[in-house]
Amino acid sequence: MPEIRVTPLGAGQDVGRSCILVSIAGKNVMLDCGMHMGFNDDRRFPDFSYITQNGRLTDFLDCVIISHFHLDHCGALPYFSEMVGYDGPIYMTHPTQAICPILLEDYRKIAVDKKGEANFFTSQMIKDCMKKVVAVHLHQTVQVDDELEIKAYYAGHVLGAAMFQIKVGSESVVYTGDYNMTPDRHLGAAWIDKCRPNLLITESTYATTIRDSKRCRERDFLKKVHETVERGGKVLIPVFALGRAQELCILLETFWERMNLKVPIYFSTGLTEKANHYYKLFITWTNQKIRKTFVQRNMFEFKHIKAFDRAFADNPGPMVVFATPGMLHAGQSLQIFRKWAGNEKNMVIMPGYCVQGTVGHKILSGQRKLEMEGRQVLEVKMQVEYMSFSAHADAKGIMQLVGQAEPESVLLVHGEAKKMEFLKQKIEQEFRVNCYMPANGETVTLPTSPSIPVGISLGLLKQEMAQGLLPEAKKPRLLHGTLIMKDSNLRLVSSEQALKELGLAEHQLRFTCRVHLHDTRKEQETAMRVHSHLKSILKDHCVQHLPDGSVTVESILIQAAAHSEDPGTKVLLVSWTYQDEELGSYLTSLLKKGLPQAPS
Amino acid sequence: MDPECSRLLPALCAVLADPRQPVVDDTCLEKLLDWFKTVTEAESSLLMLQENPCLVELLSHVLKLQDVSSRVLSFSLRLAGIFAAQENCFQYLQQGELLPGLFGEAGPLSRAAWTVPTVRSGWIQGLCSLAQHPSALHFLADHGAIDTIFSLQGDSSLFVASAASQLLVHILALSMCSRAKGHSGPVGGDWPACAQKIVGHIEESLHSATTPQVTQALNVLTTTFGRCHSPWTEALWTRLNPLVACLLERDPIPAAHSLVDLLLSVVRAPVFSSSDCGLWETVARTLSCLSPTQAGPLAVGILKLQHCPQELRAQAFGVLLQPLDCVLKAMAQAPGLPGLLDGAAGDSMMEDTLLSSKSACVGLLCRTLAHLEELQPLPQRPSPWPQAPLLGAAVTILRFCDGSAVPASSMGNHLCGTLAGCVRVQRAALDFLGMLSQGTSPQELVTQVFAVLLEYLKSPDSSPTVLKKAFQAMLRWLLSSAKTAGCSDLSRHTVLVLRELFPVLQKRLCSPCWEVRDSALEFLTHLSRNWGGQADFRHALLGSEVPKLAWQLLQDPEGYVRASAVTAVGQLSSRGLHASPTSPEHPEAQQGLLSEFLHILSEDSEGFPRRAVMQVFTEWLRDGHADVAHDTEQFVATVLQVMSQDLDWEVRAQGLELALVFLAQILGQPDPHCPYAVALPKAAPPGLLTEVLQTLCRVRLFEFVFRALFDCDRPVAQKSCDLLLFLRDKTAPCSHPQEAGGSPDSASMEATLQRWRAGEQGQPLGDLEPEAVLAILGSIDLEGLQGMLAKSSDHMERSPQSLLKDMLATVHVLEENEADCY
Repeated sequence: MPEIRVTPLGAGQDVGRSCILVSIAGKNVMLDCGMHMGFNDDRRFPDFSYITQNGRLTDFLDCVIISHFHLDHCGALPYFSEMVGYDGPIYMTHPTQAICPILLEDYRKIAVDKKGEANFFTSQMIKDCMKKVVAVHLHQTVQVDDELEIKAYYAGHVLGAAMFQIKVGSESVVYTGDYNMTPDRHLGAAWIDKCRPNLLITESTYATTIRDSKRCRERDFLKKVHETVERGGKVLIPVFALGRAQELCILLETFWERMNLKVPIYFSTGLTEKANHYYKLFITWTNQKIRKTFVQRNMFEFKHIKAFDRAFADNPGPMVVFATPGMLHAGQSLQIFRKWAGNEKNMVIMPGYCVQGTVGHKILSGQRKLEMEGRQVLEVKMQVEYMSFSAHADAKGIMQLVGQAEPESVLLVHGEAKKMEFLKQKIEQEFRVNCYMPANGETVTLPTSPSIPVGISLGLLKQEMAQGLLPEAKKPRLLHGTLIMKDSNLRLVSSEQALKELGLAEHQLRFTCRVHLHDTRKEQETAMRVHSHLKSILKDHCVQHLPDGSVTVESILIQAAAHSEDPGTKVLLVSWTYQDEELGSYLTSLLKKGLPQAPS
Repeated sequence: MDPECSRLLPALCAVLADPRQPVVDDTCLEKLLDWFKTVTEAESSLLMLQENPCLVELLSHVLKLQDVSSRVLSFSLRLAGIFAAQENCFQYLQQGELLPGLFGEAGPLSRAAWTVPTVRSGWIQGLCSLAQHPSALHFLADHGAIDTIFSLQGDSSLFVASAASQLLVHILALSMCSRAKGHSGPVGGDWPACAQKIVGHIEESLHSATTPQVTQALNVLTTTFGRCHSPWTEALWTRLNPLVACLLERDPIPAAHSLVDLLLSVVRAPVFSSSDCGLWETVARTLSCLSPTQAGPLAVGILKLQHCPQELRAQAFGVLLQPLDCVLKAMAQAPGLPGLLDGAAGDSMMEDTLLSSKSACVGLLCRTLAHLEELQPLPQRPSPWPQAPLLGAAVTILRFCDGSAVPASSMGNHLCGTLAGCVRVQRAALDFLGMLSQGTSPQELVTQVFAVLLEYLKSPDSSPTVLKKAFQAMLRWLLSSAKTAGCSDLSRHTVLVLRELFPVLQKRLCSPCWEVRDSALEFLTHLSRNWGGQADFRHALLGSEVPKLAWQLLQDPEGYVRASAVTAVGQLSSRGLHASPTSPEHPEAQQGLLSEFLHILSEDSEGFPRRAVMQVFTEWLRDGHADVAHDTEQFVATVLQVMSQDLDWEVRAQGLELALVFLAQILGQPDPHCPYAVALPKAAPPGLLTEVLQTLCRVRLFEFVFRALFDCDRPVAQKSCDLLLFLRDKTAPCSHPQEAGGSPDSASMEATLQRWRAGEQGQPLGDLEPEAVLAILGSIDLEGLQGMLAKSSDHMERSPQSLLKDMLATVHVLEENEADCY
């Protein structure tokens, strides 16, 4: 029995390092290969030993698919391909392929910069890993091998994010990665066609939330930044090199333009240029508004945002600085934070999640006295704000996507168990499909119906067409023919062709039936009565009375005989061929009703 | 335990015990357990529990709570296990009936929480920590834990099932260790009851008709023989060998993969090196019973062994060679190709596999090639090693893949159809072919190797990954062919290959795929590094457009390629092979390269090319490159000036590397084994030192190095600190801080450094005098700084105190913050 098996190694009832193993009809695919930033040792990566115990990785896995460039979806990739030893193909979209190494490199630099990180990949490993990537276009069907094909759909969320359909034969799984069902400032909404997969694996970060409009959060953000610089304060926005940073840059740039503000905005990382280059390059992946205005003005060409020099941090007066890393755990952002933390006029806005063990986590949890090296204490007087800009589908959006794709079953990942439970019930009730939510390491097995492809001969199709019935796309029709198997291929052909191809002689199959009639007349007369009765009813058929007394209608033969025991009863012997089965049955039932009374 | 942590613990335990306070971030609980493990390894658990009663209270509270979160429950189970690992602490917890409550049948086992895998996992991990002493064994037996572990072996969670198997092995080993030493008799009456029970369960599972149960038993045994090497394991194998052998009689053989793992684990166990216990016979039978795909890993494992019967090695090698033998036979009419398994009848099972389906054929060939590649460099590889037929087979497979083979048999035709364009097999075959370059091969075959590699490099159908591997294989073969030629010049044949190679390389340097351009540049760099001095190579290279194209790639839109181009052009230039687009032979062109590199260093928006430039500059300085030697001082001053404000800390760190090379050149080498060693360098004479310091001041090295000392990126600061320590120790005899310390120059310098230390790096250091530098060098506590910089920059945030504080602080924060993601 063919089956689909899904085992999350990460993202099973948690929001950490996404890594899901899917097995469809013997093909094994890894969906995402993320890292957990909360750990500094091997626990940051999914436990791949569960795959390596199946033999060599490259032999076991047919491919790896990366949904988007966030590190919780791609951060373990160089480790997996260059240190664990996977040497097969890795699929991702073009923007993800371009941006992914920037983020991996950024994270590597931070990890090495911080020191104390064990077992981390190098720059060369990132490059070698990226050389194994095969980039795909949206809606392009990519043949991984003869049996396995994949197709990407737009997912919103971040630039280049994609949902993937994985298909082996007639069985398919759709993996959403992270997605957003409402368009935002620079990206459109996720979309998928009615592909009716056997299984839809969907993220469920906001499984129970109906999110307020992102516009409100953006307004709030701008208001806070504006107020701070108006009163002469400095604003620090710790970010990772790409993604959220560009979104917020657009926001500030537009606002600065509109309000004609002169306060400088700086971006501390040297990667801005490259990042913005990619946003320009992949303009087709952004939303309609950005694409429309592209001709007049490219949104990613910033007039107000300048490169940051370390000396600028000491300049008097207000300013806004975007600095890496995003969790205030090393490097530039932490240095600027230390300088500005003591002034209550200043503000730090954390636009993303911070893991424990970082200064970002500390200030977000309300700690205002931070112990520094050498027994120093840093008093945080500046304002600390947290603003979530993460773009995930909320409960409504998830339901909408399930409705769009019409899957046979749904599997929830990338969310919290309790919230998943709620959504699971909702999906099962509304769509009447099974919904699963395996924990990490748990395997969900779905049986699927075997589907065998059959070729139909042109002759048979023509024969069918000749009957005058034109095929309709939405109406399935019955087609009669002979199924023959030759060279492991199945074909439906006309019986004549089958006989010819197989070199067989045709056998005649006749059905027979006896009908008892109450009739005292002689057999010949009974036969004549049958003849005239049938002739009156079957006007389109050729009804004949043969010289030997029998009656024929097409291939149907009717003979009247006397009953051996009851002379008042006649026995009609009816026989017909398989081809006239319908007519034969009809005639039999007609005769069983008896003959009309003859005029006396 | 640190008193600060001890002070925070009660509040934390109260939070954990409160079901209204959700613990969202489970990484904190993991880190907390890490910390407890470290603490209990260093001090008495019992004492810790007595001094911190809140811990026991937490455990008993969790037991009483019905609605405790699964995370906290799992944490408590693991924590209890960590404490109970010490026998006296185990007794202490036993007195309070805590352990039966947590691990016995009345505990979480009977609660709804047991359905959560994390809880089951916590239960197993807790028991695994606890099972360290004989009392623990009694505890496990008394509370029926072993039976629960048996059932958990088949758990729906891979993690739980695997942990359960590991725990069984752990208990079995503990049980066997606890009995009197010296007994290694057969499994029976004198074996502890616990061990007997486990062995009995394994036997039962091996008899089972269901594959998962057999797999579980085999996995437990694999771990047992992998971890335990006491004599009792030999007795265990003697008992189980017939049962394992019986599995081979079933059709199909159940859990073949696990069976292979087990046999490999047993054959590797040192206990079996002297005795046999029917092991080799079982292995030999397994080799012949398993399908070719399944038998491969066993065969390669056997061949890696140091000691093993010769016939078995031959059999194992036969298994690996068979698929390639089939490939060679499929091309049988090819002249001069010796067979791999001459005389042996063709294996029908092998042919069936190769013919059955594309995926089976591809899978088998890829595995076989990988196994042989693994084996090739090992000293214990089979001897004689059939280098020539293997090479023939690899070339044939590559020819099947690119469609250039002309097969003579139906099998050949089939393979041709199956393998045509198959990237997976191409990759595996190219890797294997590259590895085969290590052996000695007949010239005729080497010619074929180069021909097929050139075909692949030329082919428009080759994918970027295939091209990369083809370049790698080509490099290995070229280098090995020079080695075997035995003279300083390249062989005539190699020269011919080069002549064909460079036009291909030219083409690939212009590829629209950045991956291909990059692989081509990497290939060029390696080749010139090895052959830069060879006249034939120089001639062929300079006769081609390759140097010019490499130069052009300095402007590539892709950062990775620009970086590789910098390395390649830098390498060519070091070897005098550089050509600028305008005039290759003129010295101005070289100057052009220096300024081109300086331009990249100051203007390139990406870090990779800038880092590559710094590496090339450092290499140039080290090797005395003509441009650098011309005016080293000027060179160093310019480079330091350009890169000192670089945004990429790795560029700045590389700058310090360059500064160190410069220092070493004018002061004398630091210890080669420890470039920054502070105790060893011999001091330089005073006269020379003043001169040196003046030079360093002129090139503004101190401005850069002192700025780097207070860099926000720790590796830069650390490197700078090491460099200054080296310098200070070299200058020790000249240094008179008491005299120089008071000079106005050094005072202002010290003030500037103070500001830099505080993070204000705007102000420059100005012109320096050697005396002031010496004074500052003497006054900074470089050792103290070095100690601090050796720690990670977030060591404060990662400390246990910080962890406890963070966990307490998070309690009141809105849940939304915590549940968010990227």
